[in-house]
Amino acid sequence: MNSLITIWANRRINPAALVLWGLAAAFVAYTFVSGGYLIAVLHFALIYTVFVTGLNIFMGFTGQVSFGHNAFAAISGYTSAVLTATYNWDPLPAGLLGLAGALTCALIVGYPVLRLRGHYLAMATLAIGLIVYEVAVQWDSVTKGYMGISGIAPLGIGRFTVVSDRALLIFLVIVAGLSLLSAAGIRRSRLGRAFVAIAGSEDAARALGIDVARYKLIAFLISAGYAAIAGTLFVHAVGFVSPEVFGLPMVVLSFTMLYVGGIGTIGGAALGAIVISALPESFRTFKDYQDLAYGAALIAILIYAPRGMASLPALWTKWRQRVAA
Amino acid sequence: MFDLVAQSIISGIGVGAIYGLIGIGFCVIYNASGIVNFAQGAFVMLGGMLTQGAMARLGLPLPLAAILAIALVAGSGIVLERIVVRPLWNRGSTMFVMILATLAAQIVIERITLIVGGDQPRTLPVFTDLPPLRIFGFAVNFQFLWIVGCSALIIVLLGLFFSSTKTGKAMRACSINRDAAALQGIPVSRMLALAFAISAALGAVAGILITPTQYTAFNVGVPFAISGFIAAIVGGFGRPLGAFAGGILLGVAQALAIVYLGAASKNVAALSILLLFLFVRPTGILGSAK
Amino acid sequence: MSVLRLDGITRRFGGLVALDDVSLTIPGKGLSAVIGPNGAGKTTLFNVISGFMPPSAGRVHFDGADITGLPPETIASRRLIRTFQLVQLFESLTVLENVKVGCHLHTRGGLLAALLPTRAARAEEAAVDAEARHLLDETGLGAQAETLAAVLPYGQKRLLEITRALAARPKLLLLDEPAAGLNRQETDTLATLLRSIVARDTAILLIEHDMSLVMQVADNIAVLDFGRLIATGSPDEVRRNPDVIAAYLGTDEAAHV
Ligand SMILES: Nc1ncnc2c1ncn2[C@@H]1O[C@H](COP(=O)(O)OP(=O)(O)OP(=O)(O)O)[C@@H](O)[C@H]1O
Ligand SMILES: [Mg+2]
Repeated sequence: MNSLITIWANRRINPAALVLWGLAAAFVAYTFVSGGYLIAVLHFALIYTVFVTGLNIFMGFTGQVSFGHNAFAAISGYTSAVLTATYNWDPLPAGLLGLAGALTCALIVGYPVLRLRGHYLAMATLAIGLIVYEVAVQWDSVTKGYMGISGIAPLGIGRFTVVSDRALLIFLVIVAGLSLLSAAGIRRSRLGRAFVAIAGSEDAARALGIDVARYKLIAFLISAGYAAIAGTLFVHAVGFVSPEVFGLPMVVLSFTMLYVGGIGTIGGAALGAIVISALPESFRTFKDYQDLAYGAALIAILIYAPRGMASLPALWTKWRQRVAA
Repeated sequence: MFDLVAQSIISGIGVGAIYGLIGIGFCVIYNASGIVNFAQGAFVMLGGMLTQGAMARLGLPLPLAAILAIALVAGSGIVLERIVVRPLWNRGSTMFVMILATLAAQIVIERITLIVGGDQPRTLPVFTDLPPLRIFGFAVNFQFLWIVGCSALIIVLLGLFFSSTKTGKAMRACSINRDAAALQGIPVSRMLALAFAISAALGAVAGILITPTQYTAFNVGVPFAISGFIAAIVGGFGRPLGAFAGGILLGVAQALAIVYLGAASKNVAALSILLLFLFVRPTGILGSAK
Repeated sequence: MSVLRLDGITRRFGGLVALDDVSLTIPGKGLSAVIGPNGAGKTTLFNVISGFMPPSAGRVHFDGADITGLPPETIASRRLIRTFQLVQLFESLTVLENVKVGCHLHTRGGLLAALLPTRAARAEEAAVDAEARHLLDETGLGAQAETLAAVLPYGQKRLLEITRALAARPKLLLLDEPAAGLNRQETDTLATLLRSIVARDTAILLIEHDMSLVMQVADNIAVLDFGRLIATGSPDEVRRNPDVIAAYLGTDEAAHV
């Protein structure tokens, strides 16, 4: 982690970014103290931070498209749920097996899918998400269909379990923090540069010896890994899973977070996840209004602020320059 | 068994014609703009829901309700184009952003429908309430004839529109080369709105035709859109006739999957066909239009 | 010693023959240039050599091995590095990072190095950093290291693309019209840079429309016209060749030849 910390220190500090981070930290601290239903909101936001961070590596860094990462969350989440709830496994080995399963599936589908481009790529990934959804609905001897699986054990290793809301909050803050740090580490490494290079120009990347197909697959696998971890965290944090948990609205929701936070930026994933989870809290009781609000917000952002909140620091810099001039 | 297979092929053709109409809807927008409209399924859903609503709430007879619904859905296509697609188009957004925005629009329309109309499945009466005809020993119900007849009529009308009207020719010019079309004074953005209207109307017709044999609800749109998209891919994206043929193929394949693998396999079968085509022959059976 | 040998390269696009039975050897030292009118097939030749397009017929030998049909990244890994006629930078990376991507081939770090920076991984990153900064200083972009590539002025973008290619430690560097769009002063800087690259034992194959630049820096010249190789030789020989003069007659370049 050493170099990550130096990266952190070397960055020129932007007041707007600092304010955003300060607000996010204050919100977490306030929620930790006050407790109540806001804690559940934050659990949700932090788990989505992991998911969106993974998506960001594939889409923001590498410039690819996937509407199907919910599939990997579902595969891992269901594996872990079934193993713990039905077969009484410990969450840790169950989660690891879920992760392995999701990565295996990502490897199998990734190779042919990533040769596609444009709307073909978009539709193929969408189809993968929908197939997994259908399987979750239809394979009811294992998944219990629409009813879903409840009574999933909380996270923990052996006798240590993360039961209380506050303990879970701390745990998820750590996990989300690690996922952001690892994304930052990737972005600053040879691997991450190759990803961003591919997004910039595949031809130029190949002309410099980057095996574009291979690196796209690596980015796909890494992001599927994040998605899988998020899926497992979700089922154990909530204690329940049904096909709807990982349905199409999840895809739109995660894109809303990604775009609100600012696609391609590291911190954007966390900021987007927190803001988007916290804002429509007033709609909490009306699930239908929630998806409606997310969808409409996404459209508005795509049209009016395609770089999301991440453009706030840049706007601040611009404003300062204007004032100085 | 043979009877069952033959019978399900017939019903597969009916459903497939619906997929074909939806697939043509994809092609019309794609050809006019290069956009793939992922909200296509919303039009199908709205067609059935609005017709049902107009009959139940306004007491209109089926034909009037259907016409009203088609007009409203065409209007909603224009609204979608105006408030979602046009602004993105003007700022030169990437194709991916466009897909994402239309997918979000799909969810928005779905949820509005859910809030206004509730989550109860609804259905429409069959258009002609007579016992099935027997043709060569097979039962052919009248809704099937309506579906096939209307689809054929629509394809002929669309063909005439694109080949012999000024507007239709202008739209085709846009699809061949948008910049050149703009230079010739063709109002390209109005063509885009028109493409959305036509495509929405096609979706609505498909939704109205199919609802009496199945049901409709706020969330039927996405599966229909996927099927329409598959039809378009199989037919070679951008070829309306190919899309229709692709729809029929898909409908029959799905019907057979139901016979041999059970009803639960319906969607998985369609999605697998999609992936198969994308991986093995993304340009469709005939090759893509562009 | 030749580093690159083309045997009977033909490339067709439908009915169009963009390259017609081109055979050519490029020496492993010095600067060779390919000239020819617009549409003569120069870029197509680069695409075939660098693996972006297979030839319709013929073989490409590089550094003693047959590289025909290999994918571009494999050809690059043998240190045959190209640039593009339209500048292709990684616009959302900084200038420094662009050059570091150029070091991709002689570095190793993967996911593990990204997540757990061991001593070896950090040493490698430090070496890459030093190498990239050194190259940028040489090409005069050192002060821009932290700038986003997207916001560089055009002339510096061209320079950055060359710097990035140099970072890949090429044996043979293919440059497709590096002077296009540069002003007089920038072109002079480029000429100096090209000579200094050649002086360090990297061979260059240059496509260029700017005749005075070509005549100034090239050791030997090949002339393409309608896909056919119509002349090869020293600048003086080519300048006097009647076929070349005919090919350029009526074009802007004729005045310069
Ligand atoms: N991918 C392609 N598909 C079809 N035709 C092509 C393709 N690439 C090049 N051509 C054609 O091949 C011929 C040679 O093109 P090329 O780009 O190699 O010329 P050039 O010598 O580089 O010209 P310029 O000086 O304008 O860059 C031209 O007629 C061009 O239109
Ligand atoms: Mg060229």
